[in-house]
Amino acid sequence: MDTLTNWRERLITRTTRPTLVTTYRYWLWLGFLVVIVGNGVFQYTRQLREGLYVTDMRDRISWGLYITAFVFFIGISHAGTLISAILRASKVSWRAPVTRIAEFITAVALIVGASFVLIDMGRPERIFNVYLHGRWQSPIMWDVMAITTYLAASIIYLYAPMIPDLGLYRDRLKNKVGPVRNFVYRTLALDWNGSPKQFKLLGKAIGIMMLIIIPIAVSVHTVVSWIFSMTLRVGWNTSIFGVLFVAGAIFSGVATLILVMAVLRKIYHWEEYLTQKHFLYLGYLLAAFGAFMVYVNINEYLTEGFKLEEAGEFAFRQLFIEDFAVMFWFYAIGGLLGPVVLMLIPKTRTIAGVVTAAILVDIAMFLERYFIVVTGLRVPLMPYEPANYAPTFVEWSIFIAGIAFFCLLITIAIKIFPMLAVWEMTEEHEYNCAREHPTEPLPTEFEKVAVAMPEKTLPDDESTTQGSAS
Amino acid sequence: MRTTRTLNGVRYAAVLTVVVALTMITAPALAAGIEIVVGAPERVVVGQDVVVKVVLSQDGNPVEGAEVALTYQASVAGESGRVELASATTDVTGTALIVYQQRADDNREMQIVYLGPDTDPVAPFTFTIDVAGDGTQLYVTESGLRIPFLNGTVVILVISGVWVLIALSAIYLVRVGREGRQSDKASRETGSIWISFVLATVTIVTAAGMVIVFVRAPVSNTHITDPDGYDRTIVNYVDVSYPYEGFGLNNASAALTGDMNTDGGTLYFQFACGACHGLTGQGAVVGPALIGEIGSFGTFSEDIREGPKGMPAYGEETISDEELEKIYRFLDDGG
Repeated sequence: MDTLTNWRERLITRTTRPTLVTTYRYWLWLGFLVVIVGNGVFQYTRQLREGLYVTDMRDRISWGLYITAFVFFIGISHAGTLISAILRASKVSWRAPVTRIAEFITAVALIVGASFVLIDMGRPERIFNVYLHGRWQSPIMWDVMAITTYLAASIIYLYAPMIPDLGLYRDRLKNKVGPVRNFVYRTLALDWNGSPKQFKLLGKAIGIMMLIIIPIAVSVHTVVSWIFSMTLRVGWNTSIFGVLFVAGAIFSGVATLILVMAVLRKIYHWEEYLTQKHFLYLGYLLAAFGAFMVYVNINEYLTEGFKLEEAGEFAFRQLFIEDFAVMFWFYAIGGLLGPVVLMLIPKTRTIAGVVTAAILVDIAMFLERYFIVVTGLRVPLMPYEPANYAPTFVEWSIFIAGIAFFCLLITIAIKIFPMLAVWEMTEEHEYNCAREHPTEPLPTEFEKVAVAMPEKTLPDDESTTQGSAS
Repeated sequence: MRTTRTLNGVRYAAVLTVVVALTMITAPALAAGIEIVVGAPERVVVGQDVVVKVVLSQDGNPVEGAEVALTYQASVAGESGRVELASATTDVTGTALIVYQQRADDNREMQIVYLGPDTDPVAPFTFTIDVAGDGTQLYVTESGLRIPFLNGTVVILVISGVWVLIALSAIYLVRVGREGRQSDKASRETGSIWISFVLATVTIVTAAGMVIVFVRAPVSNTHITDPDGYDRTIVNYVDVSYPYEGFGLNNASAALTGDMNTDGGTLYFQFACGACHGLTGQGAVVGPALIGEIGSFGTFSEDIREGPKGMPAYGEETISDEELEKIYRFLDDGG
């Protein structure tokens, strides 16, 4: 039988592998992302120079792909923190391998999402006016508040549980990585030595953030929805938007988490840790939220459509049978019902099935954000014809650069930070072992801490460099 | 005879002079007939009930049953005109007392205007009343719902509470680092805890910034709190309101007067062309000038139908060819 120490050493080897081994494929991928981001930056300089005229946003449809991207990425950011915090708070036994990745997605998606607000501004330097002359009667101001708070909270929430693992990296990788990463580990590990006192203090920091971040995350996406629903526009003027956006955010967040997990699992052979069980549980979560989204959508469209005021007729027609019908029905059938069906059929209840569902959901949620933004603005408020909007090359370039930037940040983070929560996974594994073999006594608090404590004077072990040729 | 003729000339001149002089003296009285005398305080304060005494006389006799109105000069959104504050009818002594409440702080040029029953024009009597105050208003808009204890302070408290918890968490991390140093002196050369201090400081400074933004923000209408501190939008209160009669500008028949130019002007407003091109087609920030640069009807029509350079397109279902021609005529004639 695998001893606990062996198990843990193998986990450390697997976790540190991305940090220690860099293949040519990694550089190719990195270069590819840099080129795409570079093109986005170049197109953005064009936009800065020539103004928003290079986009297709005009006086009537004045929000487009950028605001769609903003809502989409802020939504994805819920992956993380919300799932990680809820799983942690409810002490779910399989959460440990998932949480770190989820928290990284949150921080990275927030940075990307918030920058799309700046990109959408014709005069980005005026963002300072929000701080200098901000008026809290404006929903835009609420959004700035909520996102700033969420960003600060999720960075701390990402960082705090990572400290013991950074301590481990500091000690284990001392002679294996360059001076920059050594400096990063030394600095960020905060003199971690795994003493019970430190664990206690760390537990307090994590405990506070875990509880506060759930209401913050809910408030963030509610406030994002209020940017739309606090106006009198047909299609936006509805009280269900907060629920729709929060549910949709968790929905797309879980999907993105599944995708990132699947990619990392494949590349770094983390099959032992990110098991089918993790994917299936997240798949069930996806299906549950898919069903809930169906409910919210029926609730929204039926109550509006049953009464169908004059402008509502136009809004519904463009959505259900005209310009946006393909998008809408893909979203409704592929994105919302799709995951439910995939999880219901035993044959597709596999990792591949879950990943397929996740891809469907992410595409569908992007389309949903797009048609919410554009159809709302398209309904004419005066007797003129509906305006049309089609993102220009500049807009697509910057949007795709946003996705690439998201991938780039995660790609770089993999090289530096532990993507699996070693100490939490060890703890979890310990308890699971003890449950399976009830004859052995449960480890005491002291033993648990001792196991999670990084060994400081461990010699260079060969295992960390073995089996890493891919 | 030459002397007689001269005398006659002098006599004519004298008579003419007297007639002219008499005409000049009596002309206003003859033309107006009615004389207005006003008694009003020179200086009032906001909130005061001001009494303006008006005495009307005609040839030295009091005018009874005449209606007079007190008006002042006002301007809103670039349009200016006279607004009626109050009116009254004269009694047997020819006296009318007009009472109004001074509600805002502005030095007004007042006028007493004769409204009838005599249809002959009467010159209005102009005077000024000085108002003491520093921009205060007696009333502010009551729009918005006041819920006890639910106000800006609560919002600030909630935000502060959240940020205190975030900062607390950051401070715990500082303590984690300090604990590591104290319990393990050997790690001193390898580690550092400055990053946790930076984290805590950034968190606390951002928290303070957030709260300051809220505290600094002025309160305006549609608020859920007390309107104290309201100082942005000036609200004009007019005692007498005139019920609107007629039809709206958007009424289709408004553009069917038969005069191409007039109809074109109305349609120009109806289709909100002025929103971008200026109210008289003079051009504005978004839309270029149209007056004098309208070109041929062919290109004009094409532009409207297709919408060049980000301008919305207006198809035939929206603006008919006939309407388009009227708008063109209006703009071609110089707005």
